[in-house]
Amino acid sequence: MSETHDHSNEHDHATHTHDGKPIQEDPLPSLEAQILEASVRELLIEKGVISADDVRRAIDQVESRTPALGAKIVARAWDDSEFKALLMSDSDEALMAFGVDMRPTELCVVENTDEVHNMVVCTLCSCYPRPVLGVPPAWYKRRDYRSRAVREPRAVLQEFGTQIPDQKQVRVHDSNADLRYLVLPQRPAGTEGWDQEKLARLVTRDSMIGVSDALAASDIGG
Amino acid sequence: MRGPQDYGGMPAGPVDPVKHEHVPTHWEKTVDAMMMLLFDQRRRLARVDESRRMQEALGEDYHKYPYYERWLQAISWLMLEKGVYTQEELEAKKAEVKARLESGNES
Repeated sequence: MSETHDHSNEHDHATHTHDGKPIQEDPLPSLEAQILEASVRELLIEKGVISADDVRRAIDQVESRTPALGAKIVARAWDDSEFKALLMSDSDEALMAFGVDMRPTELCVVENTDEVHNMVVCTLCSCYPRPVLGVPPAWYKRRDYRSRAVREPRAVLQEFGTQIPDQKQVRVHDSNADLRYLVLPQRPAGTEGWDQEKLARLVTRDSMIGVSDALAASDIGG
Repeated sequence: MRGPQDYGGMPAGPVDPVKHEHVPTHWEKTVDAMMMLLFDQRRRLARVDESRRMQEALGEDYHKYPYYERWLQAISWLMLEKGVYTQEELEAKKAEVKARLESGNES
């Protein structure tokens, strides 16, 4: 076995149980796609563009990016007004404290208020603030969401179980190759005096995409 | 004219946020990782808009490709376009990998 394909079939390492979801069978793509992937990877390694170790470490990095990081950022913004001001005005600088580098893209943080609810889509592909939220959910990449989020956002939100009062404005942000959005959800009522760690438990991935609100204090027994 | 990727505002079916979740497979993560490496500040061999240009060049086939297979195709076309490897090198490598997979020596 050569070092260039020593992890191509290590399925055991790729299956996880997340919050009671069943262990995922890890089906391989078409033979054609498998051949192309191995060919491209091996050629890039032979040409010295990447190494097998680079690929392994990059996979680790893909796996290490999860919405838990976004949740920490939101919780800090709720708790620390100075940080929040920096996050809203110069997110690059603010995110440095979390070891996050958004380059070459830019992150724009949009805040939900009593007057405005923000929601994020990428109609043209699947641009997403990966460094702070990880890999986008499948529905985010699908035609249904991409098509309708900009035309009938309230109907789409309802499909997520999210009802926005008529008097509240819904603002939809269409991401692109260079600019990504993160929603800063509203801090739930009844969380006065909570520390950031406890606040972060209220911040779901979907609340940072803007298809739902943060959890209520009572949802986590607060 | 609308490209195959230009969905915004078009009629479409309901979003099913429960059904349409997916934990990425190891194979998909490998493609993701390669794209990330080619995009990084050190290599700068590709950018998101270049990847999109290649994916959108699939035309109507855009819809036939699974998501990460579309990415993979884009990576390969970009590397050919940038002269990182040639079509001949790619064909030779594909034949070698195919023979290896078919002989069952890959696992």
